[in-house]
Amino acid sequence: MTDGRPEDYLLFAEKLVKTYPDGDVHALNGVSLGVKPAEYVAITGPSGCGKSTLLNLLGALDRPDQGEVYFRGEPLSKRADIDHFRARQIGFIFQSFFLLPSLTARENVQVPMYEGPVRSVKERVKKADELLDLVGMLKRANHRPMKLSVGERQRVAIARALANDPALLLADEPTGNLDSANAVHVMDLLTSFQKSRNLALLIVTHSPEIAEMANRIVKMKDGQVVDNRVNSLPG
Amino acid sequence: MYFVSFILKNLTRRPIRTALTVLGLSVAVGSMIALLGISHNVEATVAEGFERRGVDIVVMQGGVADQLSSELDEKLVERVARIEGVDPHGVDVALIQLVEIQSNKGADSKNVITIGWPASNFGFDDLEVRTGRRVQEGDVRKVMIGSTVATNLKKGVGDTIWLQTEPFEVVGTFESFSVFENGAVVMLLHESQELNPLRKGSITGFSLRVKKSLEHPDADVDAVRQRILDLKDEKTGKAIRLSAQTTKEYVKNASHVQILKAMSWMVSVIAIVIGVISMLDTMIMSVLERTQEIGILRAVGWPRSRVVKMVLVEAVILSMAAAAIGSLGAIGLTYVLTLFPQVNGFIESGIAPIVILQGFGFTVLIGIVGAVYPAVRAALLLPTEAIRHD
Repeated sequence: MTDGRPEDYLLFAEKLVKTYPDGDVHALNGVSLGVKPAEYVAITGPSGCGKSTLLNLLGALDRPDQGEVYFRGEPLSKRADIDHFRARQIGFIFQSFFLLPSLTARENVQVPMYEGPVRSVKERVKKADELLDLVGMLKRANHRPMKLSVGERQRVAIARALANDPALLLADEPTGNLDSANAVHVMDLLTSFQKSRNLALLIVTHSPEIAEMANRIVKMKDGQVVDNRVNSLPG
Repeated sequence: MYFVSFILKNLTRRPIRTALTVLGLSVAVGSMIALLGISHNVEATVAEGFERRGVDIVVMQGGVADQLSSELDEKLVERVARIEGVDPHGVDVALIQLVEIQSNKGADSKNVITIGWPASNFGFDDLEVRTGRRVQEGDVRKVMIGSTVATNLKKGVGDTIWLQTEPFEVVGTFESFSVFENGAVVMLLHESQELNPLRKGSITGFSLRVKKSLEHPDADVDAVRQRILDLKDEKTGKAIRLSAQTTKEYVKNASHVQILKAMSWMVSVIAIVIGVISMLDTMIMSVLERTQEIGILRAVGWPRSRVVKMVLVEAVILSMAAAAIGSLGAIGLTYVLTLFPQVNGFIESGIAPIVILQGFGFTVLIGIVGAVYPAVRAALLLPTEAIRHD
């Protein structure tokens, strides 16, 4: 779904090209993609097809060589406050969780809040506890990542991604390091938050089961979108 | 969680490295504070000596490299006392020499400062007699010894010491506010002159008080100083090579103070360079080790400025800890140094608060300078590159 104008989408990518300096291969070669508010999109494809690169560009972690990413119709390349935008509008969930090892679960959830709307320390702690409670981790709030199971770590990472009430969640293989039971738990959490909070959710996954849960499935190959279809029977 | 708590956790997660960095930096900073403290104490002691005695001008031979080489005819004093504006009762002469001292006849010789004063010198009033009495008019081969000399030589009232192989009876021990005087032997001027045949009738210099008006005291001092500098040799009519300095100038220009200050600063600069390199090394390692974490922080929206702030505040915290430990170490070091007889007549234990403040300032500066490059490097990391570091 890339018809229409950027203003019609929450997030809109237009003809993105990205080449890494270590090679001539285009990681992305003219990718266009639109994500509507509260939409759940799954991006699938073989390893090295450019899924994660696309996610990084959509999340303003990197800049495209060509093309443009729009958020609510505004081009990201024109924004001076790109870090602020990332902090307020986007929540990231990574395959390797990327929690800070020296901080407890509660403290990890507070890390994005330094740049978010919540200001006082008391409010930050309260908000972190609420989020940890939502992901079922409040009892483990004082534990450091090393003392948590991989499933628990990903739940803490989800709570962190929600810290500043973003409009868009970007998840890169969120269940890639989890066993099937934990993977189901994490996906249940993500889809329930997507619905209850009207979040747009963009997941990069190798898993056909997870992809089939999405409203729309985008297939990529060799840096290009080869299929972009509405899933008529999500879940 | 406060931002500073976040930073403290970064530091405490690697306690050994943090401790070693603080320790290394504190050694550098401690050396710097100790040396600057000693030089400050020396300067302050000299200045205090003049201030307490109300001295306005110090007169010595002009063009000599150090005060101990100064040689003036003592008859000059009478002419100076008659100069307009000079308080005739406020002129005090001294012969200060470095001479050999032996605790017993035939024992190993050491060097000691002797101060020769006329019996009327107001310097005697500042010596607190601990045991015995002060030297007085009519004494022959009698001396007072400062507390440091008394301790070092284990001598007291009634004992004999040998100066330039001549025996002198100790009639009193004293404590002075001046560390130099505590490490000196005080005697009558003419006896001091007899210690060295070349110094007969000569003095090192003299200090004087000026009769100052309330309206323009500095101008009065300047006027008297100029009259002293204009003095001519009565026989030849040529100008006498004199140095007449206000006490502030004297302290500032005193060669031993200058040399000490120069050496202190030289060593301090080396310490500062070592400190900067140490901080640079620690912080660059810290940033490299945390490449991925910094990428995560950037990914969740931390701007570059916050990453820079994080690295710099870490460095400042390390520096403050090093400055605190270094200051305590410096105070301890100066105290330990005063226990050594070789130096305890020349330095005073303790560090002035202003020097400790300077030390803190320098250390924080060291921390910031050493952390600037690592901080910039951390801030320039692209989140994607940092995360790929996984």
